[in-house]
Amino acid sequence: MTFFTYEITEFVDLYIVLILAYAILIMSSYLILAHLSTKELRNYLKRNSFIDYEVLLSSEFAPKLSLIAPAYNEGFTIEENVKSLLSLNYNNYQVIVVNDGSKDNSMEILAKTYDLVLTDLIIDAKIETKEIKGVYKSRNAAYKKLIVVDKENGGKADALNVGLNIAEHPYVVCIDVDCILDKDSLLKLAKPFLESHEKRIIATGGVVRIANQCVIKNGRLIEVNVPNVMLSRIQVLEYLRAFLLGRMAWGRLDGLLLISGAFGAFDKEIAILSGGYSTKTVGEDMELIVRMRRYMLERKLSYTVSYIPDPLCWTEAPEDFKIFKKQRSRWMRGTIETLSIHRKMFLNPKYKLLGMLSVPYWTLFEFLAPAIEFIGLVITVLFIIFGLINWHFFFLLALFVYTFAILFSVIALFSEEKTYHKYPKQTDFFKLLMAAFIEPLYFHPLAVYAALVGYKEKIMGTKGWGEMTRKGFTKK
Amino acid sequence: MEKLWNLYKSDDWVHPFLIVSIYIFIAASFILYLLIIASRNKKIRQTKLKIEYDVLIDTLMSSVIFEDSSFTIVSENQKFKKLFENTYFREVLTESIINLHKNYEGVYAQKIEQFYKDSGLINDSFKKLRSLKWEVKCKAISELAEFKITEAFTDIISLSNARNKTLKVTAISAAIKLAGAESIKYLTSYTDSIDDWTQLNIIGAFKKHDIGDTKGVEFLLESENTTVVALGLKLIKELKLTQKVPFVEQLANKTPNLMLQNEAQSVLQTLTV
Repeated sequence: MTFFTYEITEFVDLYIVLILAYAILIMSSYLILAHLSTKELRNYLKRNSFIDYEVLLSSEFAPKLSLIAPAYNEGFTIEENVKSLLSLNYNNYQVIVVNDGSKDNSMEILAKTYDLVLTDLIIDAKIETKEIKGVYKSRNAAYKKLIVVDKENGGKADALNVGLNIAEHPYVVCIDVDCILDKDSLLKLAKPFLESHEKRIIATGGVVRIANQCVIKNGRLIEVNVPNVMLSRIQVLEYLRAFLLGRMAWGRLDGLLLISGAFGAFDKEIAILSGGYSTKTVGEDMELIVRMRRYMLERKLSYTVSYIPDPLCWTEAPEDFKIFKKQRSRWMRGTIETLSIHRKMFLNPKYKLLGMLSVPYWTLFEFLAPAIEFIGLVITVLFIIFGLINWHFFFLLALFVYTFAILFSVIALFSEEKTYHKYPKQTDFFKLLMAAFIEPLYFHPLAVYAALVGYKEKIMGTKGWGEMTRKGFTKK
Repeated sequence: MEKLWNLYKSDDWVHPFLIVSIYIFIAASFILYLLIIASRNKKIRQTKLKIEYDVLIDTLMSSVIFEDSSFTIVSENQKFKKLFENTYFREVLTESIINLHKNYEGVYAQKIEQFYKDSGLINDSFKKLRSLKWEVKCKAISELAEFKITEAFTDIISLSNARNKTLKVTAISAAIKLAGAESIKYLTSYTDSIDDWTQLNIIGAFKKHDIGDTKGVEFLLESENTTVVALGLKLIKELKLTQKVPFVEQLANKTPNLMLQNEAQSVLQTLTV
């Protein structure tokens, strides 16, 4: 019995050390990334204040872009969204809307609004896709930038691949058609492609922010507000942390593994040579970047991925748990699939920083974190049941994690305040501050649960996105 | 040290560590909260001040531009005299007169330039030019170039070799504004590679400042530096300098560099068709 008690005590001690070590490791990594991000952000803003984007606007040497917008059942908003895409501040670009076999009247609306006519465009299908029913152009010269492709349903990745096949220009910008883009977004996204002679810029990513409750007029964001619904309000904080304190640092380290599918630009040649978007994963955005990087590294080609911290793309966040769960479980499936496809890179020095740091970081803190938290929870419950819990230590540890979570959110708010200051209203700031206190108790358990559902779906072999219902933006 | 090691070995460190960390997190959060509040208040104060200053500056500058008031007359006003000692006021004033200068031409623009010199704001700009911070230097360059202070050309052109790319681009654009084609001869001897973004800015500066005299652009085509040659070709193409066609033809026939050859052919096609 004494031996048994000794064994249990040893196990409890080991558990405490491991859980504490994991917490300290994750917290330190967050703080290091936040420090790097802040430094980089400050430099970027300084540099940016002297940049005259007009030179890009007026020059024929500006990179030529093809904007690809896949659309599935977007009938309610497609007319306005496409109009806003056609009126961006940029000259050398075309808009390719890919109707991915919508079941609603998206195609009819597009045909009527933009006076579309079927063309006999010959497509050089470098990437295999589902059948294309027709390629349309407008009879109206005002819409000469627009190409609409009607195709059989094949998912977002397949629609983006059709766009890659059709794109005439060397750079493609992949966006979600329902996102609100800043008028200068293409100018900012295109600039990095001109900036390096030594390294080839294979992709540029932009920041995505939450647009719930914001006021939109003619497809443009005119007033930024903090959402009233707590679930989406906390996502504002979450996006601030992820984009301002996380990805900026990975950008600086040149270890970015993800460019959001909602808004990113790619070197078309490399994207196609790497095989285009994978239709086998729901995390096609992350998977493409990893594959493009892998393609360059395996051929020892000098390259980099650039990152723009300006809030250029605004999207709608889920407001109810059902949709949120679908989104997050899909994100987790995407992460698992990408890490699994590219498992060869894990701690492989051949892949340099990517193999030695980015992939292990994602594995440990993005893929495994929910599982570790869940196991921790189960063990804690068992400790309570068997009377092994040291309540004093338990509360201290919980408070340690809780206060850090608040601190990290406050750092994100501070960073936002000192940089973009998009929430100038006092009430909005206090709403976000309050959300920081509520998040660890309300949002975080939901996010972990959704991620666990993602694990389950992956094990059960669930495929596809599932229906993502959106409420639409507040319009003026 | 030994004390710390013993503490670690005895496992007694966990609780104090957690307690100290919690205190640190709370204190850091509170400090950051105070900093956010302070920053927001500062922004509000500065916005208010700026509105106040803008009204005063509007009155001041309209009397300078339209009523021929010189700085000597203006400086007799005690209120303005006091405000001129305020750094933030001088910053707002510089910004305002730059904007005014961009919108006016001829005599009015000259009056603003004179005011910039008489008021001593020009000295502020020269002082900024000597700063160790590149962003302050950039600001100074923009100010001096806007008011066409040619005395600053030598300092500015020397900064076109700076390691910092933003400073380099700002300096080259300003040099083009100040000396037009004269600055080309500096580009000819450039050894660093000039990336596409810098090239676009140089072309933009030529277009923006309407530099009609493009004498010497052809010398760029003779450079050993391929990026300088590429810039020359782009300049000829974008500014449609048909008189430079013979030099482009010569380059197309002579250069062993395939990329430059193609670019030269493309320029010839554009300019001769």
